[in-house]
Amino acid sequence: MADSVKAEKREDTKIDGLMEAYFEKPKRLTTWSGFPIKDIYTPADLEGIDYEGNIANAGDYPFTRGIHSNMYRGRYWTMREGSGYARAADTNKRLKFLASQGVSGFSIFRDLPTVWGIDADHPMAEGEVGLSGVNLTSLKDMEGVLDGIALDKVSVALLCASSLAPVIFSQYLAVAENRGIDIAKLRGTIANDPLHSRYCYGKPSNPIDLSVKLAVDIIEFCTKHMPLWNTNSVNAYDMRETGINAPEEIAFGFGIAMEYIRKAVERGLNVDDFASRISFYFSAGMDFLEEIAKLRAARRLWAKIMKERFGAKKPGSWKFRFGVHTAGSSLVPQQPLNNIIRITIEALVAILGGVQSLHCCSYDEPIALPSEESQRIALRTQQILAYETGVANTADPLGGSYFIENLTNKLEEEAVKIIKEIDEMGGMAEAMKKEWVDQKIDQAALQLQKEIENKERVIVGVNAFTTAPEDKTPGGVYRIPPETEREQIANVKSLKETRDRKKVKETIRRLREKAQMGEGENLIPSIIEALKAYATVGEIQGTIRAAYGLTYDPFDIMKSPY
Amino acid sequence: MEKRKRILLAKPGLDAHDMGIKLIARALKDAGAEVVYGGIYVTPEEITKTALEEDVDILGLSFHSSTHLVEATKIMKLLREKDRDDLTVVVGGCIPLEDVSDLKKMGVREVFGSGSSLDDIVDFMIQ
Repeated sequence: MADSVKAEKREDTKIDGLMEAYFEKPKRLTTWSGFPIKDIYTPADLEGIDYEGNIANAGDYPFTRGIHSNMYRGRYWTMREGSGYARAADTNKRLKFLASQGVSGFSIFRDLPTVWGIDADHPMAEGEVGLSGVNLTSLKDMEGVLDGIALDKVSVALLCASSLAPVIFSQYLAVAENRGIDIAKLRGTIANDPLHSRYCYGKPSNPIDLSVKLAVDIIEFCTKHMPLWNTNSVNAYDMRETGINAPEEIAFGFGIAMEYIRKAVERGLNVDDFASRISFYFSAGMDFLEEIAKLRAARRLWAKIMKERFGAKKPGSWKFRFGVHTAGSSLVPQQPLNNIIRITIEALVAILGGVQSLHCCSYDEPIALPSEESQRIALRTQQILAYETGVANTADPLGGSYFIENLTNKLEEEAVKIIKEIDEMGGMAEAMKKEWVDQKIDQAALQLQKEIENKERVIVGVNAFTTAPEDKTPGGVYRIPPETEREQIANVKSLKETRDRKKVKETIRRLREKAQMGEGENLIPSIIEALKAYATVGEIQGTIRAAYGLTYDPFDIMKSPY
Repeated sequence: MEKRKRILLAKPGLDAHDMGIKLIARALKDAGAEVVYGGIYVTPEEITKTALEEDVDILGLSFHSSTHLVEATKIMKLLREKDRDDLTVVVGGCIPLEDVSDLKKMGVREVFGSGSSLDDIVDFMIQ
């Protein structure tokens, strides 16, 4: 394919290149997931489709067109932009800045030591504290992040999808309780998905079974005490980012969600008591029409799974509720301002796909941490789409399109096939243990790279229309102040010296006893208690790990002081 | 016959974005290099030790969480202490353009940021 896409060549030999460009046509006539595309789609492509049964109005089973009858006419999607970096006070300031710019929900990111459940003063944390998120070693940090934010009046997504989710979630609840707020009034989402973390964060700190047990603790706790809280945000997004295709994104995400549901039912919960609080985090990539079809297909398939496989009776349990994070992997460092256009297209995918909550990437993400300015543009992208384009004025405006409906069917069929394959292996946790998922991901990544290298997949600025290498990032590079880590380590050390040690020891002992009582014992209340005594994430995770016969420290460097 | 290049690829720190480094490992093997895969979550000390023990010609480091300046400084220092600052060190990943000259100043031979072509990386490493 072509020299025709080489702009630099075109500039050298203007006249030849121009005629070549004049006659150029699309080379790849399949979707990015490989579905062939015809010249045109007609009513014949919808033959045999029963509108009421298969598509239905928005708000009606199987919800192909949306989960609410009037969609955004009732309420816009939640406009979130994530924040979490440097010190708690810096994150707090960025959250308030975003609020002043019009976000309608917060997202809080944590750094990698927190994801791993190690304290800021752990040797492996060096160089990473406060870097790719805020460090949340103790309750002090969460208090700082949430300072001055009325927790009963906001919706907060806590993005810590690792085995540490129960501790981060409990930190949030401990802050609320210390302020005298009724936790039943809290609204938000915990990215409670340790299974997916294996593919996002690599080697997880805890083994699969313990991770799932703790995930179910959150579901059980919320089902009993927190009716407005989303107990899981099953993260198909991160899996998709590895390079897998659209039907795999649906199938892997659903495969993971079904594990949590099965385990929660085994714990004794009634599926209709918790299913309506399970939500998803999906990607929106650059294949505009296929990605919209993907979201519609996912909605229909989830409704069927919940009704038919799990026997859920309440319509709320059938609804596929999801947030979208625009595809970070579609962004490139070359000519980075072009990323704003990519993000806009992906945000439009999410809206036309019926999203409930949207996070737009910032254009500088392939280069550095998002700056205040780039985050503002990400938010403005959502606002321009919401307020200027009119796309939110009717439910599922693309529904009924011959092509979209046809593609929706194909995506659903393909996802069903993959789910069957996962079922035959004994479910997603088993498929993971067999490393089947790893193989799929490795294959996909290699395939994707080959397509880029041989230009079957054109990425403007990377393998086509390139310009001379730039030596500066437009808008500059945001950097975490170097003193952040030193300060945080000092804070953590000082906290460990000054807190009431007897109280810490006592709460850790109670947590250990609870953890030793086996899988059925919910650990959230004891985690909250330990956090209130300022036990750290490392101490809490270590105590639980030790009770389950694992090393106290996932890196086996630190020894238990208890 | 020319000796096959021995290359150690590793990813220091807690970040797990290993897709790039795995792809490069495969491409280098396909191109005839001997690849020692040091893996992820490794410390500068472990990386330096492996590089010396395995007697590699090139050390390739991947970064995606903005720790490149801190970690590369440590590794270059450790190599100097062992009198092995002649080792060719190549850095790749999510690297701001502004940092390329800093990395080169500390002795990193070449930097391949995200979006680099596999062919370019392989050509550079096995040339």
